[in-house]
Amino acid sequence: MKNIRIWFKKDGACRYISHLDLNRVMLRALHKSKIPVWHTEGFNPHPFATFPLPLSLGFRGVNECMDVKLEDEDFSFKEIIDRLNACLPAGIRIFDVTEPLMKAGKVAFASFTMRISCDDVSSSIVTKQLRGLLDSEAITVEKKSKRGLKTVDIKPGIRSAEVREMLDCAVMDITLSAGSSDNVNPNLIITALQEQTGLIYDTDITRNDLYNAELASFR
Amino acid sequence: MVSKEVEKYLLRVQKPGRYVGGELNEVIKDKKDVDVRFAFCFPDTYEVGMSHLGMKILYSQFNSVDHIWCERVFAPWVDMEEIMIKNNIPLYALESGDPVSDFDFIGFTLQYELSFTNMLNMLKLSNIPIYSRDRREMKNIVVAGGPNTCNPEPIADFVDIFFIGEGEEVDLEVIELFRQCRDQGKTKDEFLQLAAQIEGVYVPSLYEVEYNEDGTIKSFTPTHNAPAVIHKRIMKNMDESFYPDRFVVPLIEIVHDRAIQEMLRGCIRGCRFCQAGFIYRPVREKSPETIRRQCRELCANTGYDEVSLSSLSSSDYTQIVPLLEQMTDWCREEKVSVSLPSLRVDGFTDDIMNRIKTVRKSGLTFAPEAGSQRMRDVINKNVQHDELMQTCSTAFAGGWTTIKLYFMIGLPTETMDDVKAIADLGQEVVNTYYETPNRAKGKSVRVTLSASSFVPKPFTPFQWEPQDTIPVLHEKQMHLKDNIKTKKISFHYHDADTSFVEAVFARGDRKLCKAMALACERGFHFDGWNDCFDFDAWMALFEECGIDPAFYANRRRSFDEILPWDHIDCGVTKSFLLKECKKAYQNITTPHCRQQCSGCGAAKYGEGVCFEKHQNMV
Repeated sequence: MKNIRIWFKKDGACRYISHLDLNRVMLRALHKSKIPVWHTEGFNPHPFATFPLPLSLGFRGVNECMDVKLEDEDFSFKEIIDRLNACLPAGIRIFDVTEPLMKAGKVAFASFTMRISCDDVSSSIVTKQLRGLLDSEAITVEKKSKRGLKTVDIKPGIRSAEVREMLDCAVMDITLSAGSSDNVNPNLIITALQEQTGLIYDTDITRNDLYNAELASFR
Repeated sequence: MVSKEVEKYLLRVQKPGRYVGGELNEVIKDKKDVDVRFAFCFPDTYEVGMSHLGMKILYSQFNSVDHIWCERVFAPWVDMEEIMIKNNIPLYALESGDPVSDFDFIGFTLQYELSFTNMLNMLKLSNIPIYSRDRREMKNIVVAGGPNTCNPEPIADFVDIFFIGEGEEVDLEVIELFRQCRDQGKTKDEFLQLAAQIEGVYVPSLYEVEYNEDGTIKSFTPTHNAPAVIHKRIMKNMDESFYPDRFVVPLIEIVHDRAIQEMLRGCIRGCRFCQAGFIYRPVREKSPETIRRQCRELCANTGYDEVSLSSLSSSDYTQIVPLLEQMTDWCREEKVSVSLPSLRVDGFTDDIMNRIKTVRKSGLTFAPEAGSQRMRDVINKNVQHDELMQTCSTAFAGGWTTIKLYFMIGLPTETMDDVKAIADLGQEVVNTYYETPNRAKGKSVRVTLSASSFVPKPFTPFQWEPQDTIPVLHEKQMHLKDNIKTKKISFHYHDADTSFVEAVFARGDRKLCKAMALACERGFHFDGWNDCFDFDAWMALFEECGIDPAFYANRRRSFDEILPWDHIDCGVTKSFLLKECKKAYQNITTPHCRQQCSGCGAAKYGEGVCFEKHQNMV
């Protein structure tokens, strides 16, 4: 038995499915592909797969990963890629299989590219608004938790951020705390902006990569 | 494929995965390579429509023809609908993203009466005129099939062509005729008149209806050589009939998220309230070999690890036990589980129980339909009290602790004692649990009684019966509730208001079309959903249109009245239904098709159980 990490992109129609749906799609593909992965041994056996960091509905993912256990250690990685791609919808493409170098729990940061626009104001104004927000002392938003709404300051969760003005939108490259303890969803930044300006923004968010605490790429 | 314009709004709605297509096995063709585009519309949400087997069959079958491209369209949920209206986004098909108004055919499957408003609303959202007479061109031909077409009259003014019966053959014949007529430059009227000559095709605009002063039908007259009676079509050989080897596999979770294998069509039982039990006659089975092969193909092509063996009554499949036995090895090797919905009370044997238990233990549901034996005899349920207790005992001994029982209230001849008998039956099931020696240890039993309100349907022996009025139904619901004495029983009942409106449409005539049109204008939609159904608005609308809903729902119809659906032939004769109705009044049951032929009329198709029986007798 060997642990493997399967790398994929999530885009197109599949951008609009939740993490739970993605999980179902992946399990079905694993089942259909007949790749010798370890199955749970309960009453209703199914392939065992875990995701180091779930991706929110609506985000594109270009470097996403899923961990499974391979029963046949000599099974070819290329075969896994080909077989799974044949079983997956077009919006999910496997591009690599590796042996994990880091444990899933090591994820500490995630980087995103956010394209933000607004029907009511120009992209230069959106750019200014974003820069203003990032410069403020604290960025407080209401965050849903299991115990109802609570107000949090997400500013400490922003590791780095850069805003560029484009013709039709503002583009923000941002690295945020991620993982099980201090996760900051980039949508919270838009929420904070909306609260400040009262405008409605359209967003197109891509998650580029995951990192460990030392900001080394998660592999 | 979803357009940039739609994409802009997708993150503002619930479950955007409903509106994007892009699933495994969706069929994408090049527009240039096809000459007929068919928009297959399901008048409900994506999750409901994607669970429907008929749509999967026809989608695959149409697309197996090179020159046809069939795409899927579902009703957008209210949040998406609002955005589409506000931003002038027309309803579009999931595969191409093209507007529905681009399509040659717009086909609806009508599964329940309360989805009629969604059908009209979907036309409206497509910017297509709802009235058939306002669509003059040889495009946007609106067709409809499904069980509700056995009384298509309440929507007769809107649909160009109804397909009566099973669609696998007739749909393609009509599409082919359309291609020829278009090539020859024929008008839509000419096409419709020719289509009416195909068996199983009903073109409502070719018929004239006259009414008596009391509102009943005086005459129903065909014009332009249309047939006086429209005979349903059926697939005679289920093994040779088209069945898809793959389903579109949804990206989001749907209501029935599994492979579905059809074992048989029709039902031998003849429960007197059940429309499906009559309109799908005669019973025709697939062979176990076909079933197994198709299950293997479906699972291999979809990745599903669960297959549901579908029918109106699973245990009536003649070879159910050998079939389950033969599937055991495959299930274990492939890690696939089999589920058997629609199990009859008297069909739950040790053999079957042990087979379905090896794979997955879900809750058990049975439908005794009535509480007292007299009432069950009236409806010809043919389930004995002792059988029910025996079955529950078998299930409890097998480890189940949760049982759901479905009932109907408001059945013909029902008394308050019959209603109370439902509660008593629930109590007896609870008692049976504690009397079962080898029940699950240390667990309590949970019995759910669920009561819907009886809706009289066309092509059943109860088609002449009045529905109980809403106050009477409420009274019966309360009476039942008051008679439940234990917390181990939970009781649910279905809203009587929706059943009333359903009863109006189910046995309606063409006079209802104007109410439908007004409902569409006012934005009625999703009437089958509690969050959208507005009873008061419906009553106000009926009043405004001068329609008395009680005329349709609560009136006892005379046996010699011309019924709105008398020109449709679903296989069973009116005289048989009448005989069954009179037997119901005398609490006399009728044996099922395999015990004895009761001469319902379906033998004329020369196939299925009617034929099977004659062979046995020789």
